[in-house]
Amino acid sequence: MHAATKQHDFEPKIVAFVCTWCTYAGADLAGTSRMQYPPNVRVLKFPCTGRIDPVFILRAFQKGADGVLVSGCHPGDCHYMAGNFHARRRFAAFRALLDFVGVDLNRLQFSWVSAAEGGKWVDVVTELTERVRTMGPMPEFKELEHEEQWSGAINTPELKEAYDSIG
Amino acid sequence: MNAKANKNQVTCIEPDYYQAITEAIRKEAVKILKDETVVGVVGYLPGRRKGTASPALVTTVEEAEKLIFSPACVNNLSVYLTKAKKGVLKQGKVGIVAKGCDMRALAGLMTESQLQREDLFIIGVVCPGVYGFGVERTGTLTEANIARKCRECTVHMPEGADVAAGTHAELADLTPEEAQEMARIEAMPQAERWAFWKEHFSRCIRCMACRQVCPFCYCEQCLCDKNRPQAVESSPRPAGNMAWHLVRAMHLAGRCGGCAECERVCPMDIPLNLLNRRMAQELKELYDFEAGLTPVDKGPLNQYKEDDDQSFIK
Ligand code: SF4
Ligand code: SF4
Ligand code: SF4
Repeated sequence: MHAATKQHDFEPKIVAFVCTWCTYAGADLAGTSRMQYPPNVRVLKFPCTGRIDPVFILRAFQKGADGVLVSGCHPGDCHYMAGNFHARRRFAAFRALLDFVGVDLNRLQFSWVSAAEGGKWVDVVTELTERVRTMGPMPEFKELEHEEQWSGAINTPELKEAYDSIG
Repeated sequence: MNAKANKNQVTCIEPDYYQAITEAIRKEAVKILKDETVVGVVGYLPGRRKGTASPALVTTVEEAEKLIFSPACVNNLSVYLTKAKKGVLKQGKVGIVAKGCDMRALAGLMTESQLQREDLFIIGVVCPGVYGFGVERTGTLTEANIARKCRECTVHMPEGADVAAGTHAELADLTPEEAQEMARIEAMPQAERWAFWKEHFSRCIRCMACRQVCPFCYCEQCLCDKNRPQAVESSPRPAGNMAWHLVRAMHLAGRCGGCAECERVCPMDIPLNLLNRRMAQELKELYDFEAGLTPVDKGPLNQYKEDDDQSFIK
């Protein structure tokens, strides 16, 4: 039986970048096994986690994602031998960079989900969705999208005066 | 040592010392051009205005006798070998004047197979430091006008060069301004860090000077210029700027030699080297990698170990 669907004030948008060989198959298994997981997640399929460029994550945030998941094969199981090993180093570095510029890393999740782990997929997606739900929408990148150049505050009295005189 | 103690002590480098380096560079450059070891030497010639210097490729003995080294020799010349004067390497071995921090770039370019050691004759400079930007160029290098990177330099000795010009370059301890700034940012609450970088990045005019000057930005087509599909918005707006800066820092992670040229050329005074440093620090902590004076087999993001840290992955 389905649990009754709960109404929430905020439905986060979650983007999942997954590899086709493991996590996508794992998500598929969850589906064919009729497991329930939040429909907030939009799955994008890639050949390998090694193909998932950090710029994709940035773009997802800019275009309105509140949380991002990157998931692929367990270490040693990569279809291309080492794609996920390279991705692991790259994302470790990328996390440090995002943290340094002030992005909350709780909105970004990495995981290994194999083709047999439909249950783990459900857990990972549910946990991220609920965590992001409690955090609320992610305004930072979206705000940037709507800002124009020189968006810095008018921080000197002279500038303020000149600005106000424009009327 | 604290800043106060520094102030009381007169820290300056005698102009004579730069003269001695100049002599040594000239002697060596003339020699290798005469005996045809090299087809040319990339070095510094006096600039048109007094107290300036400009990079040049010299191919004759007469020109070589005009080469100089002074605190105004700020440029990292290795960029000439991957960009502007790329063709010269096809004609034979090239001499290059390199400070310690420039040699890190040369080593990195060798790691990436962009340069071959045997194609270069490196005239290393035992470097006491160069001018910072936006400072008064008084003719003497003092604590007031030395570049930020030079305050924390660990490569005064250009080890591994073919010859070294100069003898000693010990400066009394200087305040590590950049490290202090790093610590200040790291200590900020997250939202404040975002505001700090947002303000800086929003000013960027996307002139791409930082890319142009970087020896490692040698891609024929930059991801950030691509239109179909467009990965990073190319107009100077806050959204694209943020993406550009994160992509730049990411693409240089594990490669950047820390010459701080990107920061020097930025017309909007964006502290780019802080991002470079943050990445370098992370790669040191995680993978024990540090940009050094000798080439390595592979950079830290081009290799992996099976037991790399994955505590952040579920
Ligand atoms: S960082 Fe070191 S080698 Fe580079 S210019 Fe400064 S003192 Fe010279
Ligand atoms: S990123 Fe900046 S500091 Fe690093 S090598 Fe390039 S120009 Fe030098
Ligand atoms: S040099 Fe400065 S203003 Fe120009 S693109 Fe680089 S960061 Fe932006």
